[in-house]
This record gives sequence, structure tokens and C-alpha cells, in this order.
Amino acid sequence: MPDETKLSEELKKMEYEELLPVEKKLITWSIVLGVILMFVLVWVSYTFFPAQH
Amino acid sequence: MEEKKTALLNEDWLAFWLAMVLFAISLLSFAGINSFGWLVSTKEWTKLEKAIAPVSAKLVPLKGVITKIDGNKVTIKKPDGKEETITVKDTTGLQVGGTYERKGLSGFASLILTYLFLLVVMSIGASLLGANVGRFIVGFTIVFWISYACWLIGHYAYIAATDAKKAGVPWSLKLTGEAGFIVALLVGLFIGNFLPGVANFIKEAVRPELYIKTAIALMGALIGLKSAEAFGLASAVLFRGLCAIIEAYLIYWALVYLIARKYFKFSREWAAPLASGISICGVSAAIATGGAIKARPVVPIMVSSLVVIFAVIELIILPFFAQQFLWKEPMVAGAWMGLAVKTDGAAFASGAVVDALIRAKAETVAGIKYDAGWMLMAASTTKLFIDIFISIWAFLLAVIWCTKIECKPGEKVQAVEIWRRFPKFVLGYAITFVVILLIAIPLTAKITPVENEIKKIEKEIASLEKDLPSKPQQEQAAIAEKINSNKARIKELKDSIASEKKTQSQAKEATGGTNALRVLFFLITFFTIGVVSDFRKLWEEGIGKLALVYLICLFGFILWIGLFISWIFFHGVKPPVISG
Repeated sequence: MPDETKLSEELKKMEYEELLPVEKKLITWSIVLGVILMFVLVWVSYTFFPAQH
Repeated sequence: MEEKKTALLNEDWLAFWLAMVLFAISLLSFAGINSFGWLVSTKEWTKLEKAIAPVSAKLVPLKGVITKIDGNKVTIKKPDGKEETITVKDTTGLQVGGTYERKGLSGFASLILTYLFLLVVMSIGASLLGANVGRFIVGFTIVFWISYACWLIGHYAYIAATDAKKAGVPWSLKLTGEAGFIVALLVGLFIGNFLPGVANFIKEAVRPELYIKTAIALMGALIGLKSAEAFGLASAVLFRGLCAIIEAYLIYWALVYLIARKYFKFSREWAAPLASGISICGVSAAIATGGAIKARPVVPIMVSSLVVIFAVIELIILPFFAQQFLWKEPMVAGAWMGLAVKTDGAAFASGAVVDALIRAKAETVAGIKYDAGWMLMAASTTKLFIDIFISIWAFLLAVIWCTKIECKPGEKVQAVEIWRRFPKFVLGYAITFVVILLIAIPLTAKITPVENEIKKIEKEIASLEKDLPSKPQQEQAAIAEKINSNKARIKELKDSIASEKKTQSQAKEATGGTNALRVLFFLITFFTIGVVSDFRKLWEEGIGKLALVYLICLFGFILWIGLFISWIFFHGVKPPVISG
């Protein structure tokens, strides 16, 4: 439980880890895919799921 | 030492089964039994005795003088001078000028019955969770009555009335009855932070995740009925909600992870649960991600304790912000609550508050009366998709971690993990939604065109009747005949959909019952969220660095990217407007 383990002690124990190339790739691909999909999904939404009233 | 009982279910599965049982009971309305008509409903009030009544109007006590009898419809003048028309099966023995009395069920009796019913149902649930049932009963009793008192306060006309004049008060805060949710949250926060002894005493019944999950699973029925009435709009909301969360996952998570790793130098073990907790869905996402990357359990738990506190801050601020700036784009506001507010309880709760606040503002400022529940639907749709995707996202992270980053010896990632982490209460939502949708769609398809035709004919009759006196004598007979034939046609049309109308009204009765329960579970959620939100955590040594990442990410871009995504997919989408 968080009360039993001191947060400050846990954070002190944390060691520095270099950002690996695979992590950089994960971040980049995730954002790039997000931006590309935004255009695709907006088009699909407005074309096939118009908001009817 | 108290003996710890074994849990037969976890809260997720319990919420599913509770909703299924309650939903099945509500379906008795199709057999002519209004199984939840006796549940309590609360109205805006200036006199407390008028605040509560049973959900079913047929059960409300009624006494007065009969002023009109038309077929089975009887109009009664009540002691307060107001008239009410009711339908009675047999009018024999009734006459104009005579007295009519229906005993019914008093509001207070209905409230007591509601409490007892919920107490029994939830105590059975608590037993299945392996909780201490005795302590649960005491805790739930306190939770229920404090929550309900807050609900009543929220319905006071000075706080709730959107039209003060109509409510008979000189002014009002115009917050609608849902202000009771906010009152419950504030009282819960007071107890959680200033009366820790009380909070500890009732803790067995302080289970906001259980209450909100049960409420959401029950809400599927109401949304199913609404979707049947506006299928195009509902499918657009569902699809766009799905799109919005795909965007949110891909952009939010990566950005928070980058900031936590690069600028705050968090290790991977801390950064991944932190990114999921801050960016996606709070507690469950942090825990699922922690599990996926094999972080020590203490990490997601610590992240979660911070998430809960910030979620409450969001819940208090964002709905009012949205009311101020987004009332012209109600569905954007609803979806934004689902995307921006973390934890299930706070997200669904903020959807409910924003729904009430924006409807109140649109009505008072622009005279637009939006149908209730659509903004809540946008919020809950995005939040439910987020919940569903957590299991998939956690699986993807597990695969990436195991294959590319660090794989513990003998570790294997299996697709069955997706199901294990899948939120089961979502199945309850899907079942109640689909069942009511399948029942209601064919009814709506048959009823709507006929009702439209009836409206057209009624318009024609009104126009003919208006013109009648000004027409020459010889034409009047023909017009009168046309009016009569139109009236006969209306009767014929009404008869043709009588059976569908009956089933539709039974479906409304069923969803009315589950909705009354949903509102009560929401209310208890607000109160219990407050109780579990311990703001003293913010003063804990070492929390500063975590809190800073959270603050920077949340207020720096999560809120605004969430707003942008909601705007892209939901701007221009408006809830149906209630006519008349």
C-alpha cells in the first residue's frame, strides 16, 4: 500500500535510464499515426456517419 | 483479528451481474408489471413534502373533484387548484362533480422502500465481494442517507430551478436538480478530508467504482431507447466517440511518456504507468500498464492515488468551464468530459453534471430545450471505448516491452490477457443497450411515420376549423364532412399502432425504472468519490515531482488536445431538441 511504502524513498531508488531508440520509435510512430489517422477518421466520420437530427 | 472472507466476484463482475439482475427485473414491465414504479423520484421543491414521489405517476396518491370524463380519461381538480387528467380502466360510478381518490404510495414510503431494496441488493453484492456485511450495512445506510439528503438539497428550487418564476421563487442558481451531485461530492470531500474517523467507519460501503460501473451498465438501456428514437445521431456519436479515443490514445500517451522520460528523468517502470494514468484512464490504465510492463505493484498504486485526486479537481472545475464556453457545442462538451477527466467515476459523473449544466444554460439563454442524456452519452461513449481499449493498449505495450525493451526470463505475452483485462461491466452496458435497441427500433420504425401523418392531418383539421366560420353556408357542410373524415382517419391510424405504442410505453417504463436506479447509483458515486479523495496526499514527501508532471501534462496539453479532438469529431452535432 502507498501508505506503507514511502513515495520519496521509491523515487530516490529510481535510476536514470537512457531513452532507448525503440522508445523514441514508439513515441514517434504513435504521434505520426495519430495525426495521419485523424484525417482519415474525420473523413470517414463526416462521410459515413453524418450527424443527423 | 477479523476473518477475511473469500471473494466470489470482483467489483467489475459484480457490477455486471447486479446490472443484469436489475435489468431483468425491469423487463417485467413487458408482462404488465411496473417492477420499479415504486422507486423514489425527486422533484424541484419549495415545500419539502412535495419533493419526493414514486417514479410511476400511477402510484402517486391523488384526490380531488372530477371536472370532466371523456371515455377513459378523467380530469380531476386537486385541492391546490391544479387539474390532472388520468386514464382509468373503468369509469363506472364516476361522475362530474363527484370526488375521486387514489390511495397510491407516499413519497416517504417510496424513499424507505428504495433504501431497503438497495440495502438488500448491495448487501448481497458485498457478501459476494467477501466484504464484512455487517459493516457494509451500517456504512451503506450512512452513505445512502447522506447522499439522498444532498440530492434533496440540490433540488431546492433556489438552487435547481431553471425558470425561477415558474418554480415560484424570486431567483435561482439555475443549476438543475443535478446540483445534488455536486453537493454530495462536496460533503464527501469534507468527510474524507476533515472527518477521517467517519470515512474509516463507513469505508466498507465506500466503493465508487462499483456504484458507477453498475450505473453505467444500467444506463445502456436508456441509451438504447434514445438511440432507437434518433438512430442516425446515436450511431454518429458512437462512431465519432471511437475515433476520438483512438486519437487520444495515440497522441496523449506518447507525449506524456516522452515528457516523463526525457524531461523528468523517470525510469521506464514509472513513466509507462504514469503516462497511462495521466493520459488515458487513470487508475485502471495505470494498473493495467504496470502489469503489462511488469512494474512493481507499488508503482501503479502510487500513481493511482494521485490520479484520483486530480480527477476530483477536474470534476469540480471542467463541467462549469464547459458550461461557460461550450454551451453552444453541447456534444463537444460531453465528449471532452469523457476524454479529459480520469477515472470512471469522475468521468461519467462530469458527463452527468455537464449534461445538466449545459441544458440549463441553453434553456435560460437561448430558450433551447435539449433532450436530457445526450451529452452524458457522448461522455460515456468515449469513456467506455477508452476502458475497452485499455486491455488492447496494455497488450500492445506488453508485446513491445517483451520483444524490444526487456523480457523477463520465461515471460510470454498471450492474447488472452486482453480478455483478462477487459472491463466486464462494459458487457452489461452492451447487453442492456442492444436488448432495448432491438425492442425499440421496429416500434419506432412503425410509429414515427404514422405519428407524422397524424400530425399532418391534425394540422389540416386545425386549419379547416379555423376557416369554417368564414366560409359560405353551402361550403360549410362539405368542410365539416372533411373534418369528420380526417378525424376518423386519425382514429384509424391510432388504432393501427396501438399495440406498438403499448409496447413502446412498456419499454419506457422498463428504462424509467433502471434510470431511477442509475441516478441513485450516480449520486452515491459522487458522495463516495469525495470520501476517498484524500487531498492530504498532496503534502506527502516526494509527491511534488509526480504532481508536477501531472499538472504540466494535464493543464499543458491533455485538456486542450482532448478539447481539440472532441471539437473535430463533435462540433455541429446537437442533441435532439424537445418540442413544446
